[in-house]
Formats: sequence, C-alpha cells, structure tokens
Amino acid sequence: MRRGSALLPACLAALALAGCSAGEPAVPSPGARPLRVMSLNQCADQLVLALLPPERIASVTWLSRDAGTSAMAAEAARVPVNHGQAEEVLAQSPDLVIAGSFTTPALRGMLRRLGYPLVEVEDAASFADIRRITRQIAEAVGEGARGEALIAGMDRDLAALARQPTQAVRVVAWDRSGFAGGAGTLQKAILDAAGARNVAPADAQRRPDMEALLAARPALLVQGSAAPAGASLGDDVTNHRLVRRLWSGRTLGLPQAAYVCGTPAIARAALGLSRSLRDRTS
Amino acid sequence: MTARLLTPALVLLLIALASTSLLAGTVWLTPAQAAAALVDPRADLAQLVMVEVRLPRLVLALLVGGILGLSGAVLQGLLRNPLAEPGLLGVSSGASLGAVIAIYYGFAAGFTLATPLFALAGALATVAVALALGRTRGTLSLILAGIAVSAIAGAGVNLALNFAPSPYAAYEIMTWLMGSLVDRSWDHVALAAPFILVGSVLLFATARALDALALGEAQAESLGIHVRRTYLLALVGTALGVGAATAVTGAIGFVGLVAPHLVRAAVGQRPGATLLPATLAGAAIVLAADIATRLIRTGPEIKLGVFVAAVGAPFFLWLVLHVRRTGA
Repeated sequence: MRRGSALLPACLAALALAGCSAGEPAVPSPGARPLRVMSLNQCADQLVLALLPPERIASVTWLSRDAGTSAMAAEAARVPVNHGQAEEVLAQSPDLVIAGSFTTPALRGMLRRLGYPLVEVEDAASFADIRRITRQIAEAVGEGARGEALIAGMDRDLAALARQPTQAVRVVAWDRSGFAGGAGTLQKAILDAAGARNVAPADAQRRPDMEALLAARPALLVQGSAAPAGASLGDDVTNHRLVRRLWSGRTLGLPQAAYVCGTPAIARAALGLSRSLRDRTS
Repeated sequence: MTARLLTPALVLLLIALASTSLLAGTVWLTPAQAAAALVDPRADLAQLVMVEVRLPRLVLALLVGGILGLSGAVLQGLLRNPLAEPGLLGVSSGASLGAVIAIYYGFAAGFTLATPLFALAGALATVAVALALGRTRGTLSLILAGIAVSAIAGAGVNLALNFAPSPYAAYEIMTWLMGSLVDRSWDHVALAAPFILVGSVLLFATARALDALALGEAQAESLGIHVRRTYLLALVGTALGVGAATAVTGAIGFVGLVAPHLVRAAVGQRPGATLLPATLAGAAIVLAADIATRLIRTGPEIKLGVFVAAVGAPFFLWLVLHVRRTGA
C-alpha cells in the first residue's frame, strides 16, 4: 500500500515530462503567411477552398467531398481530406489549423496544449456573421484582399436582390433533416433575401407537422434535400400523400448545400432561389 | 374489478381516448367542427386535418399499441416469465435493424414495401435465431438467446449509425429510432395493418394452449397441446405484428411489458384470459402517450418512443422490486 502511494506521484511526473518533451519538436513556428492550412470544420473548408489554391491546403474534412451537403465538393476532391483526428494533424503538420464549434473539445484542447497555431471559428447564422467569419479566416491565412473580394461579391448579389420590387411569396421551408428556416437561422436569411416569407409558426425551429402546414397554406414549399440521389427515412414522412396531392406542382428544391454553411456563396443561392420563386409565381 | 367488467371498461376508455386524440393537435378544432369534418365530404382545412392526419394516426396508435400489448401477454404466458416482451426476444431491435438497412442502403427508394419487408425479415430472423439457439434447452435459454440476438441487432444498428454517409443521415436514423406517429398517413396504415392483423390472429390462436402451458410443458402435452406449434404461432405472430409496427413507427418499448401486468390483477393468473384485455390496454397506453406528446408543447416534439420509455422504465424498476418482494 505504502509503496503504491509513493509510486503514483512518480508516475505522474514521468507522464508530464513525456508529454512536454513529445510536444516540442513537432510544432512549427507561427508564420505571417501560413503555407499549408488544415481545416477541421465543414464550413471553414468552403472558405479555405475559396480563398487558397490547392497547393496551400493541407487538407479539408471528408464531409466536404459529399455533393449533397457541400457546395464545393468538386474543389474538395482536388485536395487531401481529414477525419478530424489528432493523428492526422500530427502527420500533416500544417502551419495553421482551423477548427469549428463542432470540432471535438478534446482535439481542440490537445492542439492548444501542443501549441499549434489554431483559429477557432463560430457558425454563421446571418450575412453579418458571414462577413465577420470570412474576414477572420482570410486574415488568418494571409489573404485579406481575396476575402474582401468574396465579401464584395456577396454584397453585390444582395444589393441586386434588394433592388427587385417583389411582393414576398408565402412559403414553408420543408426539410427532412428538420431544418425549418426558423428565426436566427441561415436558411431564413436566404429566404428573406430571396423575397420569400416563411409562414410556418414563428417558434418552429423544426419542420412543422402536417397540421401546421395545412393551416399555414403556403403558396410554395421550399424543400431542402441533402442527397438528390439517395432516399432516406425522412423522405417517407415529408412525402406525405397530402403533400404530394396539394403541393406536387408547387414545390421548389433548395439543395441543403446552399444553406448548411455560411459562406459568401450563399448570396448566389439566394439569387437562384429568387429567380425560381418569380418563375413559379408569375 | 372483476374480469367480466374489465373488457367493457377498457373499450370505454379507448373510445374516450380516441375522441380526445381526434381533438388534440396543432390546429385547434372545436368538437362540433371535428364531428362535422368527419361526415362532410368537402375538402377544407378541418376535413383534411381530421381525415388525412388525425384518423390514420389514431388507427395506427390502436394497431401498434394493440399488437405490442398482445404479443407481450402471449410471450409472458408462453415463457412463464413476467419480464418477457417483444423487445426482450430481440424482435424490436431486429425489426429496427432491418428497417435501418432498407433505408440506409437505399432499398426504400426502390419499392415502397422495402422498409416494412426488411423490418419483418429482421424480426423473423432474430426470432428464428433465438428459437434455434434457445428452444432445445428450455424457456430460460430462449430468453437468454433472445437477449444475445437483441444485443447483436442493436450493435448492427449502431454500426449503421457509425457508417452513416453524413451526420444528417445519422441524425435521421436516430430520430426515427426514437419512435413517433407524427405525420403518418393512410399509406402507412395500409402497409402495416395486414401484417399486424395476421400476427394478431396467430397470437390469439395460442390462448387455449397458454392456459394449459401454465401447468408446465409436460402437463400441457398430456392435455393434447402441441407445444412446439404454440411456440411457432406465438413467435411468428410476434415477428409479423411487431415487425410491421416497428417498420412504420420506429421502436416503441415497454408497452408489451407493462400492458399485461396492468390487467393481470383483474383477470387472475390465467394467461389465455389476459390476451384481449392486454391488447386493449396496450392500445390505450400508446394512444394516451401519443395524445400526451401532442399536448406537451415545450420546444421540439417529444418522440412517442421516448415518452413511453420515460414513463415505462420507472414502472419496470417498480416491477423488478415488486416481483422480488412477492417472490421471496
């Protein structure tokens, strides 16, 4: 018993020493213009891919290669991918790591402990958030001017949308993953910009049920879809026979990739949505 | 309460619950509007809500609750074990695995019947394995084999979640597994009802044999009961009924366990006599829980399976303690 209690602090000390000494040599020094950037967040991926040439990207997440939820699947196919694991960070030894709020706390803590240059970004829920996060990442990778150009492009698209003299179209956002375009979501920001008014109950953060949909009587359903090809459980319920009967010719598709991530490119998605809204209602 | 009064009382309770369930929902309808909508063929909001949303949901709640209660009563009588239920033998998790495979690998897109058929196949496969492994060495080993098969099917579901193509697919599978009756239509009723009805017929056919089995298997054989056939009827009936129910609503546990115990006090220890009251009690539990999920409006919808488990699990605990007290 007594020998055990003496052993324990010794072990702890040995562990701490091992931890420190292992941390030293692997860590690159933070440079002014990081040469190789690694993104651990699906949404940061798209900004990194838009800002940097492929040779300056160490890797993006594997999720970005899925065309169903990623707006930049083709670009992501040209760079390596990671699965958000610590060993991948060590193996790729990037000059800068970009993590998001969904990156596991354990990994973020470890990277901070090891002293990796780490940028942590929030999730965007509005166009103002998108400007702030785009600037944050653009400055971190040393491409401030390119970031401003992306934001200017978005603002041009938004200004074009604002000039359209449209009467708001009554819609219900309908998505099998449960996104409902409620207050404070990116999906609502896109709908608003495109001139659509979500008439689902205001407190609905989830897809409204059939009764609420019938009562709201939207002119159009804006149906989000993750993967156009694959079927899913959610389709079974969203394709309720009443939806098929009453809204079959009045359903607009909006790819989930268009509103999952807040990047300047979503203004383009809003433009496209606005165009098809006008086609359907004119 | 005597056994004779129990069934009429349960039927009255079911009628009261059914009327309530036709009034409960997101859209508020007065009883007069609701009644008018049921007889009025004009397709206005009230008529659509009543006929296309609330009626199929009510019918499914009755069918699913009924088959869960019935199969629980049959399995408890058959295995002479108060803790037996479809979930214990792996039927529910086998059906879940089958349905998840159908949806996840895209078979569900190919043809409409894929999900229920895969769920049935999953349920039948788990029952067959449990029967093959456990039957030869008595009821206890059948239960243990069932638990093992159930664990394997559960691991399979987790594997499907693990390998889900995207976080959204995993989220969808998970919410589906919680069990719900929201937005189910007549399409779902048409899918599940035939299997549930055939399963019920098979299960009710065991009533006389269950009474004899209460005396022990050897005694039942000497009374002219075909024990092996009774096992087959009970397990295939459970797999058909509960498999189809799971395929359209997701997993709903504890009803099969609780319903027979609720009625046993009134009908006594004759297993055959518990079948009908347990069916009605199961239907009443699921219907009442479904009404509760519609009335409790705090943020997102409470899933039916989650609600039933949250109420059913404490009952299970009480049951375990109670059985120990009275058994010792």
